[in-house]
Amino acid sequence: MIITKKRDFQELMKNIENYNRFFLLGCSECAALCSTGGEKELDEMKVALEAEGKEVTGTFVAKTGCQVLGTKVELKPFKDALTETDCILVLSCGAGTQTAVELFEDKPVYPTNDTLFLGNMTRLQMFDERCSLCGKCILDKTGGICPITACPKGLLNGPCGGCKDGYCEVSPDIKCAWVRIYERMKRLDKLQEFCETIIEAKDWAAHARPMNLNVRKKEEVKK
Amino acid sequence: MSFRDILDSGKFVVTAEIGPPKGTNIKEMLHHAEMLKGKIDAVNVTDNQSAVMRICSLAVCKLMLEMGHEPILQMTCRDRNRIGLQSDLLGASVLGIKNVLCMTGDHPNAGDHKQAKAVYDVESVQLLGIVNSLNIGRDMSGNELKGSTDFFQGAVVTPEANPLEPQLMKFEKKVRAGARFFQTQAIYDIEKFKDFMKYARKFPVKILAGIVLLKSAGMANYMNNFVPGIRVPQVLIDELKSAGKEKALDAGINIAAKHIRQLREEKICDGVHIMAIGAEAMVPEIMKRAGLL
Repeated sequence: MIITKKRDFQELMKNIENYNRFFLLGCSECAALCSTGGEKELDEMKVALEAEGKEVTGTFVAKTGCQVLGTKVELKPFKDALTETDCILVLSCGAGTQTAVELFEDKPVYPTNDTLFLGNMTRLQMFDERCSLCGKCILDKTGGICPITACPKGLLNGPCGGCKDGYCEVSPDIKCAWVRIYERMKRLDKLQEFCETIIEAKDWAAHARPMNLNVRKKEEVKK
Repeated sequence: MSFRDILDSGKFVVTAEIGPPKGTNIKEMLHHAEMLKGKIDAVNVTDNQSAVMRICSLAVCKLMLEMGHEPILQMTCRDRNRIGLQSDLLGASVLGIKNVLCMTGDHPNAGDHKQAKAVYDVESVQLLGIVNSLNIGRDMSGNELKGSTDFFQGAVVTPEANPLEPQLMKFEKKVRAGARFFQTQAIYDIEKFKDFMKYARKFPVKILAGIVLLKSAGMANYMNNFVPGIRVPQVLIDELKSAGKEKALDAGINIAAKHIRQLREEKICDGVHIMAIGAEAMVPEIMKRAGLL
């Protein structure tokens, strides 16, 4: 899931000081789980805006805010509220914000959240970054633990000299990714080949931005 | 004789470290280098050590060369991508620099530009492979070079790391990637180091034991608490403490000299790499007391 964090409210108020009427768009997926864009957060934002003398013309939590066409269909019943609004505030990740930008070419759109990382929820409202979306997965080579993400240096062939008592040089709270990988391979009895394999330098061309992907066949798209 | 020839000859090799200053005043650095002239077999020039921005290693290596030293270019993967690293290596080669020490490099988080974007496009094992490739006349992408390099490439290892096994895995990968010599992180427990050497002797590489000069009991405690892979035994800390503030440096020099003497007399490793960290002027004295001068 995409992990988001609320932006500073005063900073947001500065962003939107010239607008008076707002439509709030949330997302029932990641943002809801991060408590940044579910029903509750939309209600809280409405109250906060009204306390600042602003008006809210409507609110809606999209099923999946990053799905452009689905969100467009879902927003049809809100046509009036959207026409009346000066500005759309998006309470989800950066992708959700850009869905709104695509759907409402003539309206200003502002994010209320910062988008942090792709991660896993480890406990309620606790999130760990697990994937760097690097375009070429190496989890098959590293026992399923990603050193590109879990090692601050993104090392591919073992720990750096900064590993101290199994913890990371950059943050003593983080267990060294390569110690974790090594221990896991040992547990799986896969050490020998693992230790003998030198992983080549990463192909960053697989991560060339901006990426796009079409898994549908051409004739399918025409239909 | 070159550093590689001296290592091959079986002589007990001594290298020391020069840290380029932060700024253009190089008087003190040159003075220290002058003191070491004719006494050591090669001089390491650190590459923005501890991620603190200083004069680049390449420029200082050239200055060392002009002074008559044989420089070892320390190269970290922190600040340059694969294009920058290879370009600097070619540059080093045409300047006459023959030795390169491939390292990952401390994270910017440790240094004085914490907001810097760390690069780590490649890492130490892969950098060793790059040096190999340049030596046979090809760049990392396989393109043919107009003239190849002739580097003698080394790497680092931390024999007292905890846990040790993953570090040994990386040591072996470095050997496989073409490392010809290793300079170790500081060694203070010679008996433990002997265990590492028993293991390391299985590989066709030369090992220079890292000797970091202890300047006080406080420094020793600091290293134990904050520097990964360094363990100063309590008995040495007590020795520094009992020497008192004024004599602590002298005691530290004695400890370093005693260790070097033992490593050499018992033929435990192939040489030593002395890191005086701020007390470079003391290196000749350490060598004198170790019986090397």
